[in-house]
Order: sequence, then structure tokens, then C-alpha cells
Amino acid sequence: MKRTRGKKGRILGSAVDRKALAEVRDLLANEPRTRDMLIEHLHKIQDRYHHISSRHILSLAMEMNLPRAEVYETATFYHHFDVIKENETPTPPLTIRVCNSLTCEMFGAGQLLDELISGNNTDVRIQTVPCVGRCNKAPLAIVGSYPVETANKAKVNRAIFNKETECALPECITYAQYRKDGGYQTLIDCINGKHQPESIIKLLEDSNLRGLGGAGFPVGRKWRILREQPQPRLIAINIDEGEPGTFKDRYYLERDPHRFIEGTLIAHWAIEATDIYIYIRDEYTGCRKMLERELATLRKDPPCKLPNIYLRRGAGAYICGEESAMIESIEGKRGMPRLRPPYVAEVGLFGRPTLEQNMESMHWIRDIIEKGADWFAAEGRNGRKGLRSFSVSGRIQKPGIYLAPAGITMNELIDEFCGGMLPGHEFYGYFPGGASGGILPASLGNVPLDFDTLQAHDCFIGSAAIIVLSDKDSAKALALNAMRFFEHESCGQCTPCRVGTAKAVKLMEQNDWDQLLLKDLAQAMEDASICGLGQAAPKPLRCAMYYFPEEFE
Amino acid sequence: MAANPDKMNKNTTEFTLNGKSIEAIGDETILQAAKRYHIEIPHLCYKDGLRPDGNCRACMVEIKGESVLAPACCRQPTAGMDVSSDNKRTVHSQKMVLELLLTDMPQQAKSPYTLNSELDHWAEKLDIYDPRFHQRNQPHADLSHPAIAVNLDACIQCTRCLRACREEQVNDVIGYAFRGSHSEIVFDTDEPMGESTCVACGDCVQACPTGALMPANNVALIEPDHKVDTVCPYCGVGCLLTYNVKNDRIQYVDGRDGPSNHGRLCVKGRYGFDYVHHPDRLTTPLIRRKEGIKTDELIDPDNLHKYYREASWEEALDLAAEGLRNIRDTKGPQA
Repeated sequence: MKRTRGKKGRILGSAVDRKALAEVRDLLANEPRTRDMLIEHLHKIQDRYHHISSRHILSLAMEMNLPRAEVYETATFYHHFDVIKENETPTPPLTIRVCNSLTCEMFGAGQLLDELISGNNTDVRIQTVPCVGRCNKAPLAIVGSYPVETANKAKVNRAIFNKETECALPECITYAQYRKDGGYQTLIDCINGKHQPESIIKLLEDSNLRGLGGAGFPVGRKWRILREQPQPRLIAINIDEGEPGTFKDRYYLERDPHRFIEGTLIAHWAIEATDIYIYIRDEYTGCRKMLERELATLRKDPPCKLPNIYLRRGAGAYICGEESAMIESIEGKRGMPRLRPPYVAEVGLFGRPTLEQNMESMHWIRDIIEKGADWFAAEGRNGRKGLRSFSVSGRIQKPGIYLAPAGITMNELIDEFCGGMLPGHEFYGYFPGGASGGILPASLGNVPLDFDTLQAHDCFIGSAAIIVLSDKDSAKALALNAMRFFEHESCGQCTPCRVGTAKAVKLMEQNDWDQLLLKDLAQAMEDASICGLGQAAPKPLRCAMYYFPEEFE
Repeated sequence: MAANPDKMNKNTTEFTLNGKSIEAIGDETILQAAKRYHIEIPHLCYKDGLRPDGNCRACMVEIKGESVLAPACCRQPTAGMDVSSDNKRTVHSQKMVLELLLTDMPQQAKSPYTLNSELDHWAEKLDIYDPRFHQRNQPHADLSHPAIAVNLDACIQCTRCLRACREEQVNDVIGYAFRGSHSEIVFDTDEPMGESTCVACGDCVQACPTGALMPANNVALIEPDHKVDTVCPYCGVGCLLTYNVKNDRIQYVDGRDGPSNHGRLCVKGRYGFDYVHHPDRLTTPLIRRKEGIKTDELIDPDNLHKYYREASWEEALDLAAEGLRNIRDTKGPQA
């Protein structure tokens, strides 16, 4: 550990505490001390002590041979790490996280929060957090890691009283069941030469399967690009589902985890990759533990020779769903997006060409191979091709995940899938793609919902997270909610986003918005931000002003 | 390290900047090529000698065929690329970035900590005054360090100090902690700079574009009446530096680009100049008086004249030469 003698022999910088060092060594046991393990190791400290003290930061820095500033800057980036100084009071062991993102706010998160704070005892910390990915059961309170759905004060208190603080593992199709139903046979067929990588890539291209994390880059083309890159190549699977209103990845993962793993292993075979990294958001505790278990079972009795599959845990940062930020995070750093070019496919994880895919994209690989490209491509309405998993929440009878034809309209989705609007609510508008996708009015309820179809309306489908608004909601208020979310989740790297989101919130908190100034700011954020977060952040405010002018009169 | 000019990639790339055809040499970025052609593009987080990071977004340019703007400091041109830095769209972004940053300066005005703020320079060039936004909550000053004043209310989060500390000097003291609009430059684990492991090389001060990190006691606000380019008087590395002098007193030091230091300095070269004005410093040759007998005792500097008298260089050198000649003549040339 670096120490420098200052004036009069004073030691500069705090010394490492022997007890803390022993504690850290005990937690790390035999695990690697490599830089990419930093966030994993910080989790161990947080899990054990419910906070991370300066003593532990110094010890971890020493143990991992890292500068203390780098450990500190990484730990303080992630909201699930409670970094405290020597003289600060440790956080209470139990935290209740109240989601205050779009759908939850519409369903009374504000009131829930007030009630919880007013009746709070000091043993519990109450915190507002962004979307926890359970918007069909809004509002949400997470007690420890236990999700209280359609939460109210009584339910939360009951969970605390009953010590229900752990998220249960979802009852999924297990490895044995999946194998019994013919699972992993397609992978085995690939490896045994029944398929060729080229034919599979062609099939994916024909199926029109596009990346379902939000960007919509064609999956087949991505695999083709990767095959042209120098080896070794890596795979990174993105389960950092954090876009407000989105819960489709969790839905599929909870039910059928091996389907995406098989898809991933097929990708691994097709692009001749080496290691696989799976990054899952920390909010999905039950899914992560289930996935750990299923991966262990898979490794014990593998259908073929398995590559290294590493499961990595996020730490409360929406931005890590951005592909290059996720890579930074897997490398154990602050989740700050990289500048492109170079693209992740060329220079990705650990500087290697990397195939990064959303989990749901991999979920469909097996079905497309088994049922053919047409099975997927033949679906679709209004001239669009394929299927989309819509996460629908808001003022509808039946919020949930609906696998529907790409190009379906909002009106059709509400009528055919969502059981219509809630009684007493009239369709007023919708977020077509979470907080990032903008807001459309009910009068545009007949626009086909797909990649590329919403650009003309200054919107974007993204992860197909649809939040339905009624005449009881205000686009202006929800645009502010969205901008607060972006301010909270901005990584802080580039000026237009770091400063722009904060300034926009201040302007939007005024009763009268300075619309000209907001438009000026929005233009620069869209043009000059490094990544999609800052570029998309002004969409809701632009849409609110453009499509809902009566709210500003 | 500067590249060996003989080994440098001298291939040129022709591209268009603001309608004018120009050439980038080797690995030059759009910004570097533009500079050679005296085409001005605002920039703050870019500094020669530091890895370009592209975070401030003041240097945004439009590249034909690309949907969003690109930072000129990080992009290398390709042949035939059509780049604009002066159209309505790019100037809008450049100005907005400067306005946002100016909003969070103390008093939303010129930096009170330096006369050479690059933000002030570009804001003036692009005619930006009276920002229209609400100011952030400003952090407190950290004056714990004897040589460096930390005033993060003038910080624009450009991370030049961090790159200087971590990547150039490899001192690893400065970090960029927290997230979003709360992001902050920290020392070690957010300690006062004076209690951190900082070795006071001052490279962060030299890297800072706005005066958020400055020599202590506001000396950077003194307009030097002249500058002296010289070589560091300490070890044998030979770092080049510049003394900023006012009223015959050195106020502060800047590293200068030289083969051994490329503008960087250590604590001695940057801050160890007070000896120059120390009353004990010898400024003329002295010759021992006859009555000033040599003893083991240290001479009291206040009584120096009891033992020595001032002499001219000629007299002193003659005396020394005479002494040496005397030794040679009496003891032989091998003595």
C-alpha cells in the first residue's frame, strides 16, 4: 500500500486496518483478485455488513492491488453500495425500496412513500428507487429483496413483521425438465454438424430477428460481423433490464431460463467464441439465484463441452444496460458508456471482439431454428415482420407480457390483449418504449408498433415497454418523472447529459415550462450526448409539449 | 512519449472541414488537424499530452452521413469525410455545452481562480454570457493542502486532472466518484487533498482548464510581468520549466515541453522555488576574511560578514586559481 511521508514525518492517507483486512480476506476467500472482480467483491462486503466502510475500501484496494481512488470511485457509482466514512452512521440492515418510476407513480408510489416514511422506525431505511421491473403489479415496494406487489403500508409492514425479506426463487423449467422436453438437442445438432454456422446465420437473417434490448440491430448480421473479427471473441448477455416499464426479460427468465442459455451456446458455437459473460441486474435477486443454481446443474451434466460461463451481478445502475457501459461494469469499473467507434463487436469486453445480446434475443434462437425462419417472420401486422414481447402496464385491465405480432397498434393491443382500459379510465396516451421512447397521444393509437415505425413521430419502441395513460394522468407530470429518472441514472460522464438532465428537471419543476429553452437544451442533448441515455432523455418532454399542448395552457 | 519523428506514421488523410479540403497526418484527430490549419473548434476536456476522453462535448462536429454529432477530439478522419464544425447544428451544441458549464461556475461568471480559464476563453469567443439555467449546489472549497487549492465550484468534470494524475504521473490519487450530476473529483477515498496520498506533483493543477485546482494562495491570479524559460535546478533529469515572475519574485511554475518531461514536473520543480528568495541564499562570491578562522561550528548566517567579505567574480576566481596553482606547484600535478 502506498504511503507517503509528509511534513514532519506524518503519514499521508489513512493506514490499512488489520481487522478490516482480515475481514475482507475472509470474504474473498480463494476468489481471484483480478480487477474485473471488483464489483463482485464489493457485493460480498455490502451483503455481509450492509454498508461499505472506508476501512473496507482501503483493505479491498490493498488486497486487489488497486489504487484506493479506483475502488472508491467504482463503489460510489453504484446505488446498491452504501459507502460510508469512518464517522458516519452505518445504514440500517433492512432497506425498503419504493419504486417511483412511471407506472408506480401512476399507481400511488408517492402516497405509499409518504405513509411508509411517516410510520417509519429507525431500524429500516426507506429509499426511492427507479423501476424494479414488476410494473404489472404497481406500485412496488421491495423489502430487502422481497418484492411486495400492489404494495400498501399494511402489506409492507406485514412483510417486515414476518421477516419476509428474501426474494423467492422463481419456479422455472429446470434443467432436467428442459432436457426431457428436448432442450439442448438443437445445440447438440449444431455441434454434431447437422447445422453449419453459415446456415444458422442465414436463417436468423431470414427470420428478421432483431436485438430486443432496444436498439433492434439485426441478430444474424451481428453474428456475421463477429465471425469476421479476430479471435478470441467473447459473448456478453445483457439482462440488465432497467428501462421503466420493461419486465419481459424477467418474465422469460423466471419461466424458462435454459432457452436463452441454449441460444447463447448456439451463438457461442456459431461465432466460435471463448468465454460467456451474463450480466444480470441486482434487482432480480431471485432470478440470479435461480440462474446460479441452473448453471451449476448444467455444468454438472453438460449436453456438450461447455465454455466458461460467468454470471455477473449489477449493482443498481440503469446505465449498465447500455452495451458498452455493461462491458465497463463487467470489467469492474464505473458503468460509463464508451465512445463509438470502435464498436463493441470490434473492441468490446477486455478489448476483445464481443457479441453482446439482450437475453430475450437469445430466447428465440432455438424456436427459430426448430420451427424455421418463417415461423417468426410470418408473424406481424401492418406490413411488419416478427413477434414482439410487449411489457404493458398502466391503466389497462390486464397488465402483463404479451407476445404479439410486430406492427400491432396500441388500440389493437389494448382491445385484443389487455382486456381494455380500466373502468372509469379513458385512453389518453402511451409511452411506446419506456421512459426513453417518448409519449404518444391516443390519437396516434393506430400507429404500427415496431422498430423504425415510430421515428416519424419522434418516438422509439426500444424494449417495447408500453405504459398506457388515461385521462386521469398528465403527460407533463410523467415527462418530469421520466426526466428525474434520467437525472438519477445519468452516469455523469458527458456534459449534455450530466448537466442537461439536472437543468431540465429544474425547468420542468416550474409550473410554466420555458419551452424555448427546453427545446434548445433537448436539441443539444440529442445531438451531443455520448450514449442513448442522454440522446433519448429529452423525448418525453418534447412529446409532452408537442402532443399535449392543452396541458400547458 | 513523443513519437520518434522518423517512425511516425506520415500517411495523410484528405478530408473536408467546413468546406475546405485539409489533410490529417498520421493518427491525427479532426481536432488536431483543424488546429494545424488554424481552424478553431472549442474544446475543454482535450489537452495535448493527455489521452483524449471526449466527455465535455464542446468540440462536437457534424460528419455527413452520421445521425448524431461526433467529438472532434476523439475522431480520426477517414478519406473523403465531410466534416462541419461551424454550421448551425454544431454551433448550437457547442454553445449549449459551454452555457451549461458556465451555469455552474461561481457567480455564473469568469473563473475567480485563474486568469487563463479555457472555459472563459471559449465562452467569450462564442459570445456566451448570462446562462439561462439554475445553478447546482456548489461544493465547499478544500484548502487543506499547502501547495494546491481545490475549488470544485469551478470544476467542469472534464477529468483532465484525473488523467494527469492516473495516466501520466501514475500517482493514482485522483478519482471520479459518485454518479450523474453528483459526480465529483475526489482524492483517494474522498479525503481532503492535504490528508490524501497526494505527492504534490501539481500535474493536476497544470491540467485543470478552469482553476478548480490551482496553486494555493491565489498566486495564479497574479499577472506575471515576465516569464523565464529555464531548466529545473534540482536533479539531473533536466525538466524544462517556466518561472512566472512578478516584481522580481517567482510566483508560480509551469512545466514546459522538453524531451525529458513533456510539460510534467515533480513537487520540487513545481513548488520548490522559495530558496531563490531566501535571505541565506548566496548571490555573490564570498572570500574568507583573514580573521575568519575555520572551525567545526556552523556559521550563523546573520553573522556571515564576520567571516566573509563580498567579492567580484574576477577576484574570487583569481583567488581560487591561485590556490589551485599553488597546490600544483608545491605538491605536483597529481596532488
